[in-house]
Amino acid sequence: MRSFEYLAPSSLNELLEVMGDRAPNFKLLAGGTDLLVDLKHGPSGPKLVMDLGAVPELKGIEETPLGLRIGAMVTHSQIQQSALIAEHAPAMMAAAATIGAVQTRNMGTIGGNLVTCVPSLDSGPVLVALDAQVTVAGVHGRRVLAITEFFVGPRQTALAPDELLVDILIPTAMLGRATAFRKFGLRKGQALALVNAAASIAVDNDRIVEARIALGAVAPTVIRATDGERVITGRSTDDVGALREAAAVAVTETRPIDDFRASAAYRRELVAVGTYRVLEEALALATRS
Amino acid sequence: MHQVEMMVNGQVRRAEVPAETTLLSVLRETWGLTGSKLGCDVGDCGACTVLVDGLSVNACLLLAVQVDGQEVLTIEGMGGFDYLHPIQAAFERLSSIQCGFCAPGIVISAKALIDKNPHPTEQEIREALAGNLCRCTGYTKIIEGIAEACRAPAITDGISVTESGHV
Ligand SMILES: Cc1cc2nc3c(=O)[nH]c(=O)nc-3n(C[C@H](O)[C@H](O)[C@H](O)COP(=O)(O)OP(=O)(O)OC[C@H]3O[C@@H](n4cnc5c(N)ncnc54)[C@H](O)[C@@H]3O)c2cc1C
Ligand code: FES
Ligand code: FES
Repeated sequence: MRSFEYLAPSSLNELLEVMGDRAPNFKLLAGGTDLLVDLKHGPSGPKLVMDLGAVPELKGIEETPLGLRIGAMVTHSQIQQSALIAEHAPAMMAAAATIGAVQTRNMGTIGGNLVTCVPSLDSGPVLVALDAQVTVAGVHGRRVLAITEFFVGPRQTALAPDELLVDILIPTAMLGRATAFRKFGLRKGQALALVNAAASIAVDNDRIVEARIALGAVAPTVIRATDGERVITGRSTDDVGALREAAAVAVTETRPIDDFRASAAYRRELVAVGTYRVLEEALALATRS
Repeated sequence: MHQVEMMVNGQVRRAEVPAETTLLSVLRETWGLTGSKLGCDVGDCGACTVLVDGLSVNACLLLAVQVDGQEVLTIEGMGGFDYLHPIQAAFERLSSIQCGFCAPGIVISAKALIDKNPHPTEQEIREALAGNLCRCTGYTKIIEGIAEACRAPAITDGISVTESGHV
């Protein structure tokens, strides 16, 4: 690795000040599972690496009046083990469980996953299905964005060079919302998603009153399949054909690529199957409760 | 240069390292603890797996400065010729090791699993090893070895053991 200066600020204010002074000549270090690979093999190295590990404001999972707050430095393992996530947003656990292997999940954070922002990021679809918001901060203040605004393109987020991701919020209205997640890879363990999908469904009087479908690895960022959502909104919970129709429409909203892992045609097939399965599972959860 | 100090296998170790030094390289090159292996260097193979404060991690993806003040367990802390940890003993009995390159990481991943879950199912063992690649033995004997280790009295009785007393 090329040499760099290392700092580990112990508060958010201290961190933001240095970020303001030194932007864009630094890199933030969370779990390091993406960054260390870049530092070793990437084209150029940063002058300064700032470790987020000692910043208390970025940690923890807690209930707030606005919803469930998840600090950017929360690891995938902590999500898997959190009683609050189990109660309010268990699909996040299902997504976390598919990320890398035990070692990756012990080190890798949800914040690092979102900021790396590869199209296949596995924590993205459930957060989109749960209408999550993110708080970002810079020396000049804070902004709250919808998760879909935060994802801009492959490896590109809405963060300015002197801003960082502070936390993720699942709004109160979405806590406990019936949600399902599926990931399709070439293997079960430690594989990037060829396609990943999440859906959330709310039911009232035996009708689907709100549905969100989120698809990953089939467009430059995670997308919402809003046409597919419209197909099932208002339909009866007994109308199994509606889910198939919605899945077929969702396929038309994707732009998958051909690469060495899979063809675009195969990915479209996975979108149809995956969308159907997450809708079916979310609907089963919604009608049970 | 940065001063780092950590408790490695029950012993305080100190070093002065540039920031870009990985935990794996300080273990191997500064302290001569060459049990942890450098395989892929990018987090895929698990040959460098160690425990940091009880959690299994890839030592190739951590900076030594990130681990300052923490507790590290490497394969050297798991047992030696005069006393084998039950996982090591089972691997020996069942021939779970051929070249042995993957074994230090696998033994550490297995320990991390058994510490939390002393009676894992085969599926749980497989999931715990998803980040440890073995290119010669294949996984059957390794999984059988871990399952057998879980039947050893030291594990079933919940006694923590090594000759150095810190595992
Ligand atoms: C073997 C292996 C398997 C993997 N498998 C998967 C997988 O199955 N699915 C998947 O989605 N990913 C996978 N990954 C990718 C990676 O582990 C995850 O994206 C992880 O969540 C990254 O988090 P981190 O804390 O390690 O990030 P880091 O590597 O520390 O940081 C990643 C990037 O985000 C920036 N950053 C981190 N935190 C913040 C913040 N709070 N504010 C602003 N910028 C920030 C960093 O500067 C850096 O550019 C895998 C990686 C490895 C090595
Ligand atoms: S050397 Fe660390 S995971 Fe391969
Ligand atoms: S025994 Fe050779 S890699 Fe596993």
